[in-house]
Amino acid sequence: MEGAQAIGLAALSITFLVGLSRAMILFIVTSGLSFVLGVLRVPNVAHGSLYMIGAFAAYSISVLFGGGSAGFWLALIFAPLVVALVSLIAERSLFRHLYQREHLMLLLFTFALMLILGDLTKIVWGADYRSIMPPTLLRGSVSLFGSPFPKYNLFLLIIGPLVAIGLWLFSSRTKMGKIARAAAVDMEMVGAIGINVSWVFAFAFVLGCMLAGLGGALVSPTISVTIGMDHDIIIEAFLIVTIGGLGNMWGAMVGSLIFGITQSFGILFWPQFAIVFPYLAVVIVLTLKPTGLLKSVW
Amino acid sequence: MLRVEDLHKSFDKFKAVNGAYLTVEKGQLVAVIGPNGAGKTTLFNLITGQLQPDKGKILLNDEDIGKLPPHVICRKGIARSFQIANIFHRLSVFRNVQISVLSQRKLSNKLFQPAARLVVNETHRILESVGLLDRKMDVAGSLSHGDKRILEIAIALGNEPELLILDEPTAGMSPEETTTAMALIQRLAQEEGLTILFCEHDMEVVFGTAQSIMVMQQGHSIIQEEPEIVRLNTEVQQAYLGDE
Amino acid sequence: MFREMIRQKSFGVSVIIFGVLLLAPSFLPRFYIYFLAVIFVTALLAMSLNLCVGHGMIFQFHHGVFYGVGAYTAGLLLAKTSLPWWIAFMAGPLAAAFTGLLIGLFCIRLNRLYFGMLQISLGSLIWAIAFRWYDLTGGDDGIHGIPIPDFIASTTSSYYFVLIVLGICVVLMYLILKSPFGSTLQAIRDNPERCAAVGIHVRRHQLKAIVIATFFGGVAGVLFVVVEGSIYPGLLFWVLSLEIFIMCLLGGWFTFAGPILGAAIIVSLRTFVGTIQNIGPIENVGEYWTLILGVILILLIFFLPEGIMGYNYRQLFRSRMKYSSESQVE
Repeated sequence: MEGAQAIGLAALSITFLVGLSRAMILFIVTSGLSFVLGVLRVPNVAHGSLYMIGAFAAYSISVLFGGGSAGFWLALIFAPLVVALVSLIAERSLFRHLYQREHLMLLLFTFALMLILGDLTKIVWGADYRSIMPPTLLRGSVSLFGSPFPKYNLFLLIIGPLVAIGLWLFSSRTKMGKIARAAAVDMEMVGAIGINVSWVFAFAFVLGCMLAGLGGALVSPTISVTIGMDHDIIIEAFLIVTIGGLGNMWGAMVGSLIFGITQSFGILFWPQFAIVFPYLAVVIVLTLKPTGLLKSVW
Repeated sequence: MLRVEDLHKSFDKFKAVNGAYLTVEKGQLVAVIGPNGAGKTTLFNLITGQLQPDKGKILLNDEDIGKLPPHVICRKGIARSFQIANIFHRLSVFRNVQISVLSQRKLSNKLFQPAARLVVNETHRILESVGLLDRKMDVAGSLSHGDKRILEIAIALGNEPELLILDEPTAGMSPEETTTAMALIQRLAQEEGLTILFCEHDMEVVFGTAQSIMVMQQGHSIIQEEPEIVRLNTEVQQAYLGDE
Repeated sequence: MFREMIRQKSFGVSVIIFGVLLLAPSFLPRFYIYFLAVIFVTALLAMSLNLCVGHGMIFQFHHGVFYGVGAYTAGLLLAKTSLPWWIAFMAGPLAAAFTGLLIGLFCIRLNRLYFGMLQISLGSLIWAIAFRWYDLTGGDDGIHGIPIPDFIASTTSSYYFVLIVLGICVVLMYLILKSPFGSTLQAIRDNPERCAAVGIHVRRHQLKAIVIATFFGGVAGVLFVVVEGSIYPGLLFWVLSLEIFIMCLLGGWFTFAGPILGAAIIVSLRTFVGTIQNIGPIENVGEYWTLILGVILILLIFFLPEGIMGYNYRQLFRSRMKYSSESQVE
């Protein structure tokens, strides 16, 4: 009981905020997965690989530009674009030939893509750990509730909602967004009114992957970038979209919050098996609402 | 036997079924007619459990079956055929019917007996009564369209139903096939004592065979009466027969 | 029941092959005996997965979990307790089936594709626990030198044990697929909505299939321990699950024996690739096995979606459609 007494309110609050900021990255990544899920009706297993490529690309870009603050901001802009390019190549060369086939084939393709991208990453960057420094602006910590709270996490707490609002505006206000939402509900109708369904798919896939890449770039200063990141994140992302409601972007937010916060508290209370806490939350949610908390998009 | 009272079902904002009423007495041959989009298939889906009603009651022998899932409703004695041929394409004709017979006899879970030897006579009997016995070894997907619809009915018969619901049984059939099919349906009603509820497009077919006709339009029931009364009803003539 | 089986043409061929395999230790060097044993274990694993995938369209994407649970249960009981070997051997498949039931209960409520997605995530929890619980499982290192009972400890005797168990399991699986349970499962695969309409409780039936499949997966896990004498977390890692899935696809997932062929090919390929050192500028090609696996999968998707045996079957099928005898038509 000594340990529990030593954990004061300050530590709990910091843990909560750390979990919240981690949830922001989870949200950015899973919103991309959800988006692809909604439009293509297929869980993109390679989503984690693109996240990993985003992180590695961010590393390389920042090194390319001197490794300092400028390097970071440039990496943040260009890494998602690199990922978008990779996904576009994969989509136009191979993926799109499968749109007429059954969904299982699409899913298997994303599996193959994951395997291939995983090893390609190993070939290009090697198996060593990489790390990148946050820009000078975001280094160090602020004092919150008397305890240190990393400035970078504060940055994430701002970026997350910004991305959420951006996505919401995009899907409800822009033409492309509305088409994507319509496609999620009734693909045939969209094709019937003359819109090129293949390009809608391509767009959705690339946008989703770009979000994964953005998540990877954002996470790179906080963890060691290495092979295996793809597996870790995709497992979490699958859980999050399942408990949030398949294809539902707000579901991705809710799921990410639950996951990130329980994970953070897990690390506080039981570091060796911290992983059990978010899983426990998932099991509870799925027992009560087997198809997720929010409605599936279709 | 079956009574539907004030049934409602919407999809988002669209009211597919908006006040449907239906009565089916035991041993009757009842038809539901109405223009396209009137809600006939939705009504059937509500009765057999593929959909859940928003409001209203579906009573089978005075038991409310509205919220039950399809496999439970089947066990209560209702079997159905589907509008779009919903057979097991890769399996043989024999196997198609055998699956439902096995299910009816609660044998689906037997692990260590050969399926080939079980319920063979019963399956043959059903195939013979619909006229498909000589094709029992053919792959179901290779049947003509008309024969597939007959197979649909045969699969439903495997469930030894009290009430047989047929969703547009003669859809897409040629005139000869239609006559054969309707003769079969009437024979089933008389010889097997089956209660049959079906919906149809073909007016001649309906008026020639049904004992009671319910007319639907835009999701609600206009009238349910004997054919002659329905034929003379002005509202029906305006709404439906007038368009024909 | 056996009469039907014996009448099949393929039965004669299988008996001959089985006979040859029984005699193998007398004319093959030890390494090849070990190699064949590994293929047998993998073949059983692939067959067990195909019960779900090929015959039930249940996308069991993390079947490896049950393999690993079977192996770990048996291995840990043998290594850390003094319980008799046959208890450990029985506990493995039972634990695997129980895990299959638990995970299945959560996943079965989602539609087809998402079933697999959730299973990967839930199964990964077990991997993570095995990975981190160093005291119990040896963590990343695993446990080696597990005491195997003497009568099956040597390469040759373990080979016979595995071969016989494989033979028994294959016969059992054949009988199950030809039973009403198997027929109904295949009907559910082809048209689950229709099955519900004829009174079948689809989800429950699928869950039963999952329990059976994971049971056999657990048996494969126990056999792994017999052959290798060790356990390690890689057994529970989902890339292995993917590999098994590819084996089923490669061999022919709608056929009965396809997975065996797929397992043989993949295991042979993996062993072969592991021996290559350099191809041109690329060193250590063996390290990039997952890349090769991914390429194989892509080739399968685009060119051979029904697998090798599936493709041959279809050629046969087309000429026999009108004259199908009971045994030909599925």
